[in-house]
Amino acid sequence: MSGGSNQPAGDVLERVRRALGRREGLKEAPIPPQLPEHIVRLVQSEIGLAELFARRAEENKMHVVGVRVEELVAKVGEYLREEECRRIALPKSGFLERLNVVKGLGAMGFEARVWTEMTLDELYEYDCGVTDVYAAVAETGSLVVRSSADHGRALSLVPAVYVAIVEPKNLLADLVDLFEKMGRDGGGGATIITGPSKTADIEMDLVVGVHGPGKVQVFMLK
Amino acid sequence: MAIKLPVHSSQAHDIPHAADYEAGFGEHFDFNEASTKAAGDERLKKSVNYAVLKQYIARQEQMRDLPNAEELRTLAGEIKQHALDHLDYYLEQLKENVEKRGGRVHFASNATEARQIIMKIARGAGCKRVIKSKSMVSEEIELAHHMEAAGLDVVETDLGEFIVQIDHDKPSHIVAPIVHKDRKSIATLFSKYFGTPYNEDAKAMTMQARKHLRGKFREADFGMTGGNFLVADTGQICVVENEGNARQSMTTPRVLVSLVGIEKVVPRLADLSVMLKLLARSATGQAMTIYTSIFGGTRGAGEKDGPEEFHLVLMDNGRSEILASEYRETLRCIRCGACLNACPIYRKIGGHAYGYVYSGPIGALITPLFQGLENYKDLPQASSLCGACYEACPVKINIPLHLINMRRDIVNSQLNGFWERVVYRMWAWGLKWPVLYKLIGEMQKIDLRRRAKGSGWVEKLPKVAAGWTQIRDMPAPAGRTFHQMWKKRKKGRA
Repeated sequence: MSGGSNQPAGDVLERVRRALGRREGLKEAPIPPQLPEHIVRLVQSEIGLAELFARRAEENKMHVVGVRVEELVAKVGEYLREEECRRIALPKSGFLERLNVVKGLGAMGFEARVWTEMTLDELYEYDCGVTDVYAAVAETGSLVVRSSADHGRALSLVPAVYVAIVEPKNLLADLVDLFEKMGRDGGGGATIITGPSKTADIEMDLVVGVHGPGKVQVFMLK
Repeated sequence: MAIKLPVHSSQAHDIPHAADYEAGFGEHFDFNEASTKAAGDERLKKSVNYAVLKQYIARQEQMRDLPNAEELRTLAGEIKQHALDHLDYYLEQLKENVEKRGGRVHFASNATEARQIIMKIARGAGCKRVIKSKSMVSEEIELAHHMEAAGLDVVETDLGEFIVQIDHDKPSHIVAPIVHKDRKSIATLFSKYFGTPYNEDAKAMTMQARKHLRGKFREADFGMTGGNFLVADTGQICVVENEGNARQSMTTPRVLVSLVGIEKVVPRLADLSVMLKLLARSATGQAMTIYTSIFGGTRGAGEKDGPEEFHLVLMDNGRSEILASEYRETLRCIRCGACLNACPIYRKIGGHAYGYVYSGPIGALITPLFQGLENYKDLPQASSLCGACYEACPVKINIPLHLINMRRDIVNSQLNGFWERVVYRMWAWGLKWPVLYKLIGEMQKIDLRRRAKGSGWVEKLPKVAAGWTQIRDMPAPAGRTFHQMWKKRKKGRA
């Protein structure tokens, strides 16, 4: 058998079909294996998801703080001050507007600006990204974000500190539920974030904050 | 500006480096020579053993905590096998769905075609600054090297791969590319490359690389990723990582190219829940990697980041031939590296000694399939067949079985040496004649007992057998064989 780079050019699909012993394409869609819930699902219950999420997120070196709606802005501001963040980038979001996050942070002396009013290059000069989330997965302690014109991919990636605001209704039990939800919502992309950016390439020595945020703080609304 | 390097580091200081084994790469690869060399390198062994055992233990712990781990592995294997058995259908479905998202799909037959396609995309879009995240297929076709030669500024952005790049080295592990390097050698390298004082603190070195690469991210116009899974029914690519550099590739540059092997397809988005629960656990002993990106297509209307142009390059490069062979199952591999960490041979010799990008048990199996059995005929022997790789594999590839089958292929195609054939033929002949077999056994016994000189230990064996007694003594055989004792016992009972 001689494979590798010596393989001649030609129609890849045709060659694959021949390799499978077929002359032409399948007439009917093949049926993939079933995914039995009792094997795939790791979190069975909908009870205590917030606690489970918090525990798993902490295991992954994120910090989770429970807050009431009315104290959210003050708590976020307090955290940002502790981290010495001054320039704050946020998505344009009805949810954050309703909670008065942008204006509230502005009133506390932070330079808070929404994504639609800045360029990607400018974002590199920001200290922190504060966003809402598409979902939060209790099984893994993960945050899930989706991009749009209002919510840039870079918000949760480029600044050195990332703050996520999670509502109870964002909570999903298991990854199984996340992919179901994504399917229902029309199949856009998503980024699942499970902790601060890290590497252990040098002698398995764990270092956080390599290319993405080194700090991930979650405010969980009660 | 292409990255220029002041020195070829392997000559600059005495550290394990792929160049030490490169003479053996390709057509005249001699695994015996390479592995002997690697096994004698104490510094290499120390680095590899430490890192690999750490990952191995982390995996064990994660899998122990995973209920239904067995069933989940079986299911993952079935999903991948199903996708392979209907690969033509799923590739077409994938293509259609990626195109619906505004992406373009290119099929590449081999390495040359893949490189040409990617270079043409870069030229067509007028791109010059490439940020590349880690992927095994790009190593397979030495993409970064070729793009640099074509005048593009290419930077590997995964920390390990960045270190590999500035050292002109090659990765020696599927997941952890620089397990063969210790912090001292990396610190020396950084000090030379950046012209800064020597500092062997891992955090300090990581931050130095972060600062350097952040500038690259900011100005890049061409992003490259691989792909861990291709989702046929949604036309999406799934990439997992811990650092965030792959996310940078998908975020900043206006052009994004994902180069992926055709075998990476899974039928449905829901299949990711099975695969993701196993991949990170098997690879690094994490329940999930830090970032899991599910993407495809171009940025939407009004979006300010993400690619304006997206290309998916699906590469065959020998995979369709494996698909047609009895080794189809090996294409299930999700490149987690668990079999490398579990392998007693890999732990002793590291990845470079395998002579190709894929090392460890899976490398011993697929390298001959990709590069020709005649060029790598010793690799299927690079296993004690202990089965640790099979036990670790998240998609249940029966690696030991396939290695045995490949050894059969070696014999059938007479790739084994002349003397090996003579010895085995004589052995087979001897086994057919019990009297002769017993006689030879008796002679051997007498000879060994004579050499032991009554001490019970043979200290030195001659010629071909000398290796046996080089570092330990061999116990002398007992006066009576098991056969003889058994016969006597039966007689006594009757």
